[in-house]
Amino acid sequence: MGKATVIDSSPITLATKMEEGMDMETQDRALQSEDWNLVEKTIFERRSVRWYKSDQVPEYLVRRMLEAGRYAPSAGNSQPWKFIVIRDKAILGEMERDVQRTCKLFRFFLDFRRPGLMGKIGWFYSQIFIRILPHELHPIPLGAIFLIAEGKLKLFHGAPTVIMILKDKRGVSNPDLDCGICGQNMVLAAHSLGLSTCWIGFVSALMKSYVRFKWLRRLHISYPYELVEGIAVGYARGNPNKMVERETHEIAWYENGQRTITY
Amino acid sequence: MSTISLIERLIIPTYNNEAYAHTGRVTIDPVKCNGCGMCATICPGKAIRIIGHGKAKLAQMEPDFPQCMSCNDCAAMCERGAISVSLTYDFGYHFKILDRSTMKPPRSFKEKS
Repeated sequence: MGKATVIDSSPITLATKMEEGMDMETQDRALQSEDWNLVEKTIFERRSVRWYKSDQVPEYLVRRMLEAGRYAPSAGNSQPWKFIVIRDKAILGEMERDVQRTCKLFRFFLDFRRPGLMGKIGWFYSQIFIRILPHELHPIPLGAIFLIAEGKLKLFHGAPTVIMILKDKRGVSNPDLDCGICGQNMVLAAHSLGLSTCWIGFVSALMKSYVRFKWLRRLHISYPYELVEGIAVGYARGNPNKMVERETHEIAWYENGQRTITY
Repeated sequence: MSTISLIERLIIPTYNNEAYAHTGRVTIDPVKCNGCGMCATICPGKAIRIIGHGKAKLAQMEPDFPQCMSCNDCAAMCERGAISVSLTYDFGYHFKILDRSTMKPPRSFKEKS
């Protein structure tokens, strides 16, 4: 964290300092709304919302979102996606229940916070499983698994509509990435239409659990399709869509034969 | 999903030791906070709780390993601007966060005149 992380052997640290100085100027003028156009404002103001009103979203707005997704760029124009729209409270509730059961099962094996022998067994299993599923059991989703198992975190946060994105496994190059681009198109379109959204990656827990075949049959998913992501759509309670602070990331800038590190 | 090598897999520690990891941290201004509890409701890690009763209600971070991922949702939700993220989360070893600098609001860049 902080400036101390800039360890760069290139001699161009002067330019970096100059850019930092410029940053301070721009930072003073930040949050003046006329500095961005409408698309940029939509991007900066979008937040993942986790508290929804129970009002159903009108059908035409969901159709407009899907239309924005249809026009996303994809590798080789392969369009390796397919959508499932679920607006049925019974199905969403059943999914939530099944994901909670799956998380309870995971917690039973992986909870190393318990005292005594069970905690030691949990530590042993988590040593093995974090090596098999390093992305799914990253400490952040692991914490989310425990919270869902305890019932503190709802899967869809009470959203009335959920859009599932399926990927075509035979897609050109990297179909997961194309599904992500498509989803981001839909999410930004939704925000510009006054809706709020949240990416729900935990729906893939349905596919990694003993309920896999039940949901494959139920949602009519078969080869070559595979469930990758869900997007919860609804009207937000309160007013969470504001610009906030974010970390700046390192940018290596090659120009005029020099390498400059900026943030 | 990206694949990682076998050696990388072997050196992942289990994050059961707090020395390997620190979570995000938010600072809550006790003067501005009125304890409405909206931040506690929307926090995805349930890292904020409400203490006290009546007018003395106040939001506070969970004292025992709060699962804060410094997402700033609470700061955006707070109507009174009482919350700001003061520390971003970071883990040791395999999941260490690299090449990031301080938190900044959206910047605007103008054409040089």
